[in-house]
Amino acid sequence: QAQVVHDQVPSDPPPTVDLISLCQEGKVKEVIEHMEQGIVADAQCFDMLFELCANSKKLEDAKKVHDYLLRSKCRSDLGLSNKVINMYSKCGSMTDARRVFDHMRDRNMDSWHLMINGYALNGLGDDGLTLYDQMRESGMKPNEETFLYVFEACASADAIDEAFMHFESMKAEYGISPQVEHYLGLLGVLGKCGHLAEAEEYISKLPFEPTEAVWEALMNYARIHGDIDLEDRAEELMVGLDPSKAVANKIPTPPVKKQLAINMLEGRNRVAEFRNPTLFKDDEKLRAAMKEQAYVPDTRYVLHDIDQEAKEQALLYHSERLAIAYGLISTPARTPLRIIKNLRVCGDCHNAIKIMSRIVGRELIVRDNKRFHHFKDGKCSCGDYW
Amino acid sequence: AVSEFTRMRNSGVEPNHITFVTLLSGCAHFPAQALSLGSALHGYARKLGLDTQNVKVGTAVIDMYSKFGLVGLARLSFDHMGVKNKVTWNTMVDGYMRNGDFNNAVKVFDEIPERDVISWTALVGGFVKNGLFEEGLVWFREMQLSAVEPDYVTMISVLSACANLGTLGISLWLHRFILRREFKDNVRVNNSLIDMYCRCGCVELACQVFVRMAERSLVSWNSIIVGLAVNGHAVDALQYFDLMQNEGFQPDAVTFTGVLTACSHAGLVEKGLKYFKAMKKVHRITPRIEHYGCIVDLYSRAGRLEDALGIIKNMPMKPNEVILGSILAACRNLSDVKLAERLMHYIYKLDPDGDSNHVLLSNIYAAVGSWRGASTVRKKMKALGIQKKPGISSIEIDGVLNEFVAGDRSHIHAEQVYAMLEHLSGELKVSGYVEDDFSELYECG
Amino acid sequence: YVKKLPLNAVNANAASVLNPLYPPLRQQHQPRPTTPQNPSSTNNPNAPKIPETVSVLSGNRLNLHNRILKLIRENDLDEAALYTRHSVYSNCRPTIFTCNSVMAAQLRQSRYSDLLSLHRFITQAGIGANIVTHNLLLTAFMDCRKTDMAMEHYKQLINNAPFNPSPTTYRILIKGLVDNNKIDRAMELKEEMLSKGFSADPIVYSYLMSGQAKGSNPDAVFELYEELKEKLGGSVSDGVIYGSLMKGYFLRGMEQEAMECYEEAVGENSKIKMSAVSFNYILDALSKNGKFNEAVKLFDRMLNEHDPPKRLTVNLGSYNLCKNDLLGEAEELYKDMGEKGVSPDEFTFVLLMDTCFKESRPDDAAAYFKTMVDSKLRPNLGVYDRLVDGLVKVGKVDEAKSFFDLMMGKLRMNDDSYKFMMNALFDIGQHDEVLKIVDRMLREDPADFSDELQEFVREALAKEGRDEELTKLMDDIEREKKEAADREVEAAEKAKASARAAVSSLINSPKLFGNKEPEEQSTIAGEAASIN
Repeated sequence: QAQVVHDQVPSDPPPTVDLISLCQEGKVKEVIEHMEQGIVADAQCFDMLFELCANSKKLEDAKKVHDYLLRSKCRSDLGLSNKVINMYSKCGSMTDARRVFDHMRDRNMDSWHLMINGYALNGLGDDGLTLYDQMRESGMKPNEETFLYVFEACASADAIDEAFMHFESMKAEYGISPQVEHYLGLLGVLGKCGHLAEAEEYISKLPFEPTEAVWEALMNYARIHGDIDLEDRAEELMVGLDPSKAVANKIPTPPVKKQLAINMLEGRNRVAEFRNPTLFKDDEKLRAAMKEQAYVPDTRYVLHDIDQEAKEQALLYHSERLAIAYGLISTPARTPLRIIKNLRVCGDCHNAIKIMSRIVGRELIVRDNKRFHHFKDGKCSCGDYW
Repeated sequence: AVSEFTRMRNSGVEPNHITFVTLLSGCAHFPAQALSLGSALHGYARKLGLDTQNVKVGTAVIDMYSKFGLVGLARLSFDHMGVKNKVTWNTMVDGYMRNGDFNNAVKVFDEIPERDVISWTALVGGFVKNGLFEEGLVWFREMQLSAVEPDYVTMISVLSACANLGTLGISLWLHRFILRREFKDNVRVNNSLIDMYCRCGCVELACQVFVRMAERSLVSWNSIIVGLAVNGHAVDALQYFDLMQNEGFQPDAVTFTGVLTACSHAGLVEKGLKYFKAMKKVHRITPRIEHYGCIVDLYSRAGRLEDALGIIKNMPMKPNEVILGSILAACRNLSDVKLAERLMHYIYKLDPDGDSNHVLLSNIYAAVGSWRGASTVRKKMKALGIQKKPGISSIEIDGVLNEFVAGDRSHIHAEQVYAMLEHLSGELKVSGYVEDDFSELYECG
Repeated sequence: YVKKLPLNAVNANAASVLNPLYPPLRQQHQPRPTTPQNPSSTNNPNAPKIPETVSVLSGNRLNLHNRILKLIRENDLDEAALYTRHSVYSNCRPTIFTCNSVMAAQLRQSRYSDLLSLHRFITQAGIGANIVTHNLLLTAFMDCRKTDMAMEHYKQLINNAPFNPSPTTYRILIKGLVDNNKIDRAMELKEEMLSKGFSADPIVYSYLMSGQAKGSNPDAVFELYEELKEKLGGSVSDGVIYGSLMKGYFLRGMEQEAMECYEEAVGENSKIKMSAVSFNYILDALSKNGKFNEAVKLFDRMLNEHDPPKRLTVNLGSYNLCKNDLLGEAEELYKDMGEKGVSPDEFTFVLLMDTCFKESRPDDAAAYFKTMVDSKLRPNLGVYDRLVDGLVKVGKVDEAKSFFDLMMGKLRMNDDSYKFMMNALFDIGQHDEVLKIVDRMLREDPADFSDELQEFVREALAKEGRDEELTKLMDDIEREKKEAADREVEAAEKAKASARAAVSSLINSPKLFGNKEPEEQSTIAGEAASIN
């Protein structure tokens, strides 16, 4: 105990700890511990710390180091405040970033940029666009870079029409001639919002020959939205411009099984004639089999004589189901869950868990006070006798 | 030994401390019969002053009283002892634990001047033996923190706690821990590991431990066979049974419990009966009630109530509540309320406090739509003071045990848990049927 | 109505760069109600879920996305869909992007029921749909000829979704309506689209024009063309409308103008942008109007320009070839498909089968049908009907019967299909065979033997004085079934009764629970495991 007390009272001058080299090693936790002991960090150290916290995305650390900044002499340093904004936005807390922003005595262009971009990256594009309006109202004149962030914000807010308006105002009001990045920015608005066909058309209308970066961007947007044909097309064009980007051993695209040509010429009627709506008997069997497995809550197992719906509710929340639900949200897909129950599992839960095991695609192992139940693919090892 | 002692006294030879220790521990082994002799011995030792002066004798006295269930007397002797060594302290801790007095056990433990591995083991093992598995694990963690290296006895206790809690995450950690210790090849530790994995429902790992064992005992074989059987791996269990005999082990009563359980799980009626016969005729093992239980279960599952009752009729002992429970379960499957009611009559007598069969009977009534019957049972349960025990389900995530009771909303993630449940219950309802609106969109190629 | 953009366009091209079809109205963009991070919007379960933005696709959720994309590439769609579902029940929920990817792949493979089922599932799971999801769903509805459902869904999208439809949405809807012969509804929707500020889309106009051409309404074709031209500022450089424009001229009997139009689109030095789809439209216009040589020439050009040939093009080619009595070339193409690793589908086979019948080659037609069934493709009742019809017409009743036998176990047939086969058999005096069919029906699908069918068979048999045989057959089978059922019930009853008797005699026996030694005993096997 005495030792602890001794530690808490730094009677000796604090030993010189090289915080900078600790930062270089990425040891944020240790630096924080030293600061708790009263060691003061300088601007360079804070700079590094903010960078580290932004990368590790640990909001708790971020808040601590920010706290120490506020207590330090460099608390009103503009550059460091911007760093803090960046750190909070990377850690996913725009509320904190905004608080810092609002309390800044002076702001420079970077401050606005970081805020707008931060909103965009956190899926809060609308707030970003509102801030952009405020920025202009405050008399700041947007520059080339500003528009890149504005486009990011538009992409994040599904604000496609607005993006095109900003693009136009960039040329008309601010006399900035658009660079490739700006076209890419607009492409990003379309691509990120899932307007892929429109993005592809947009590329065909670019006032310059599309570069490999354009195709790569389109390829990535196609990947995001799962359009593999477009992805392949874009990739082919990208590789055509830069063969070094070819992916070795790429899995070939599976063939399409669709009657596009026919739709186009003869309308649906002909396709229907070939394929729908005849029922094949094996389909019928499949459906019958599936219907049999349908689960209807068996309320007979609830002891209380209550009305039907309430009974179903009571069953729904039996303890084993709660445990399973918690297990599901806490573990990766398809890993088995192990539940221990102090009583016998009731008939209805047994039925339900059987079907659940199929729905959730996991082995559910329930040990009740009598025996083990290994539920898998809609069956139980106990053979329904328990 | 007792008569020898009498002769010794008669011949006038003074018994020394060794005599006392031997005799006292002899008494401790037979708490039912040796109470009077034990206290007489204590009195004699007292006269000689051995119990307070000689550490070993004093300790033996404490041990004896503890085992007699007279922990108060044990404590009295403990307090009167002039000299105490480590063993004395440990014996006292063990004495309190043996009698379920955890507070005093911990108190004494805290007072021990020098706690060694035995002290810790007494505490951890005491909690586990009393069914307080989580406390056992907590104290094991304390033990780790105080840097006392556990021995294999500690480990067996801890493994047993995990087996009971079914915490696979901690189990795996313990297994890794053990693999770095010199007792990693200890047969009893390995047997515990097998049991633990089986009770966590993880037979693959149990089998792995079993296969890698350098030497195996009968208990090893029994553990794996029973473990496989209760987990529903009937075929594997029976395979191990054959393998065991090939390796020259003689199956015992426990082995057959496993084999018969396997058969009843898998519905292998004829095979089960064959094994039952072989057990009696070939291996000369008198069936115990759990063997009869398995056969009754076997028949009940197959819907052969008549044969099941035949077994009960012909067995030499009274059926216990487990056996009657099997029959009751069969009644539920056959919706036979009459028989269930008659059975309950016996179950009341056998096990008036047991609630699970009451619940079962009430379920049977409910199953045939007789709400009145069900509520009668419930009223009866209330009258008898039997409350339906709350169902508690637990699941271990990242080494943390999460417990839930029905309708529980106290968990920190309750909101997500309930959202997930709601979605699941929706899926359960649609599971299997395709909305009719879309029927003609059915896949055709 | 000409859309004016708030900009100082330096040149005409800049306008199109600026705006790919979007409405210029600022209020069109509806700001999100609250931040998506805020779960308070989940208070009302019926409120539309705000979809997540691309920024969520990182870390584990991105890994999941890539994993699913890989499965899609490997064409393991069942696993892709299943893993997506299973991930909902895990600590890593799939993003809407991953779900869309799976649905897009399902759509690509015409697996509509899977798509709808996954969509229902993610809706239930509270994964907010985005515009891509809606477009996929609308495409699926349209592909399945569910125009009403599609329009209903569109209405919901307009009214409830926290975002606007995309230009693609209108393409899907208008194309679907046209394909399903709902041209008027399609025209209305175009107006709605324009009124919402979306710009005139040549592709949408091309759908409408081809629909009007199909309805032999050349005036409407030209009206649409003029309207588009005006909205685009005087000229249309997109080749997609030229096929329909040609059809318009052909409909008016203006062959020369049509061919001029053809020259303008595909001739040398053409300024018109031609895509594969644009080519297909022109190809269709040519082949439907007797310009076979030009069509074949253009088809060859397409094959060369679009390498490797996609089944789309190949089917289209064989379609045209078949339509134009060039069966030989179509069959060449069919063989080519095999060599180029493009597997034929129902459409290919049915084309070939139909054309073989037309060319009086019934055996080859039958062979194509057989190959189709053998390659696990599933022709429907209409195709089957045409096959047996074709065979019976040329007197090959036995062969038709063998196909009937083959398909009876697979297809759910209707009265007419049964009647047709039976009639053919009656005609050649094979009454016994008919009775055998009835026998099989009664055993396998008794519900299929409708009253109408029964009446039909009875009448035909009565002509031969054999109607009693039908009655007898039906009675026999009914009796057999009843006997079997009775036997089952009896056996069950018997077993139950004997069990009850035995049980009650046992339970009264004092030995059952009587005065035996009570045994202190461990309980069940599970506890015996903890023997150490």
